[in-house]
Amino acid sequence: MKAIFFSFLLTLALLVPSLAQAQCDTIANVCYKHMTQQYLSDGQQYRALLLNSEVAEFNSTFFGNTTYRIAACSGLKDGQLVIRIFDKQRNLLFTNIEHKNAPYWDFKFLSSMDCIIEAQLLDPKAKSGCAVLLISFKQ
Amino acid sequence: MRLFSLPIPALRMVAAGLALAFMASCGGGKKETTDVAETLDSNKANIVAVGDKLFSIPSPIQTALLLKKCGAAYNKSMLNIPANITHYSTTVKKALNLGVYGADLGYVILYQQSQDAMGYLSIIKKLSDDVGISGAFNEQLLKRFQSNLGNRDSLLAMSSEAYRSSDAFLKENDRTDASALILAGGWIEGLYFTTQMVSGKVTDKSALIQRIGEQKTTLENLIALLTKYYQQEGYTEFIDALIDLASEFDKVEMTYTYQKPTTDEANKLTTINCTTTVKLSDELLKTITEKAAALRNSVIQ
Repeated sequence: MKAIFFSFLLTLALLVPSLAQAQCDTIANVCYKHMTQQYLSDGQQYRALLLNSEVAEFNSTFFGNTTYRIAACSGLKDGQLVIRIFDKQRNLLFTNIEHKNAPYWDFKFLSSMDCIIEAQLLDPKAKSGCAVLLISFKQ
Repeated sequence: MRLFSLPIPALRMVAAGLALAFMASCGGGKKETTDVAETLDSNKANIVAVGDKLFSIPSPIQTALLLKKCGAAYNKSMLNIPANITHYSTTVKKALNLGVYGADLGYVILYQQSQDAMGYLSIIKKLSDDVGISGAFNEQLLKRFQSNLGNRDSLLAMSSEAYRSSDAFLKENDRTDASALILAGGWIEGLYFTTQMVSGKVTDKSALIQRIGEQKTTLENLIALLTKYYQQEGYTEFIDALIDLASEFDKVEMTYTYQKPTTDEANKLTTINCTTTVKLSDELLKTITEKAAALRNSVIQ
C-alpha cells in the first residue's frame, strides 16, 4: 500500500513539468490563429513561464524592407500579455498597452535592426502564466 | 482545463515536496535528495530559461526571398545534394543538416522547382525521423505537399509550419540543443547562398552585401544559443568555427540611427523608421565568403 502511495506521488511529481509545458503548448496553438495566410512563420516558437511580475526578454533581428507580425499570448483569452519592443539603445519602439493590449501587431522595418521584446503578464496578481511569442513575416 | 486554474508555482512546490518526501521515506541519503531537487530545478529552468537565452534566428526563407528579389537565377548546384544524407551518422550532423535541407527546401519552393522540392522533403522526413521529430514531417504532410505542388505559397506555409512545430516539440521535450543546431544549419546555408550569389549575376548586389553584413548580430545570437553545449561531443569544433567566422564579422561596421516610429492604428501597423548602415569592404567580403563556404562544407560532408 505504501509502495502504491509513493508511486502515485512520484508520478505526480514527474507530471508537473509536463503539465506546465502542456499549458504553453495550448496557448501557442491559440496564439497561432493570429498568423494569417499571408504571413510565414520564422520556424520558431518562443515561450517563457512567468511568475507574478516577472519579465521575459526576447532578442530578435528584423530585416529591413520586411513587414513582420508579432503575436503575444498568455492564457486562452486575448490581451493577457503586455509587450514592449525596444531597440538596442533601449528606446521604446512599441508597446501594446497603448493599443488595448492587442494580441498581435504588424511592424514594417525600413532597415534591419536588433530589438529586445519584453513580455509581462497583464495581471500582476496572477501567480504564473506561460508567455508565448510568435514571429512571422509577410512574403 | 483544470490545469489552468492551478497556479504552476504551487504545483511545483507540491511536486518538489512530494518527491523529497518520497526519497526520504525510501531511506535515500542526502545525495539522492539533492539530485531530485536539481532535476526539478532543471525542469523549471527548462521553461523559464528561454528568457535568459531567447534569441530568434531569422528564417533562411527570408534570405531566399531576397535572392529572388535581387534577380538571382535558380542554381541547383549550390544546394546540398540529397545523397549526402548517408554521411550523417551523429545526432549533431543530422540536426545541422535538417536545418541545411530546410533552407534548401525553402529555396527550391521559392523558385518553383516542384520535383526538387519533393526530393528535399523526403530527405527531411528521413532526417526528422532520425532526430526524433517525425510528428512534424509525417506522411500526411507529404501527401498535402504533393497535392499542392503547384502552389508556392501553400508549400512555403507548410514547410515553415512544420519547422515551427518541430521547434516547439524540441523545446517542450528539453532538446533545445537539437533546436539550436537546426537553426544553425539553416542559417549557415542561408549565408552560403548569399555569399555565393553576391559575385554572380544579380540586379542589386548592394542589397546582398548589406544582408551579409547584417548577419553579424545573428551570428552572435547563434553562438550565444550554442555556447552552453560547447563541451558536448560534436559541438566544440563546430562552435569554434562559428567563433572564427564571428571574428571576421566583428570587422563589419554597423551604424544605427534611432528615429521615432509611426503608427497606423486602424491597420494595426507600426513603421519602424530607424536606420542601420553596413560597411563591408571587398576584402572582408572575400574572407567571409571563403570562411562561410568552408564551414558549410564541413557541415554537409
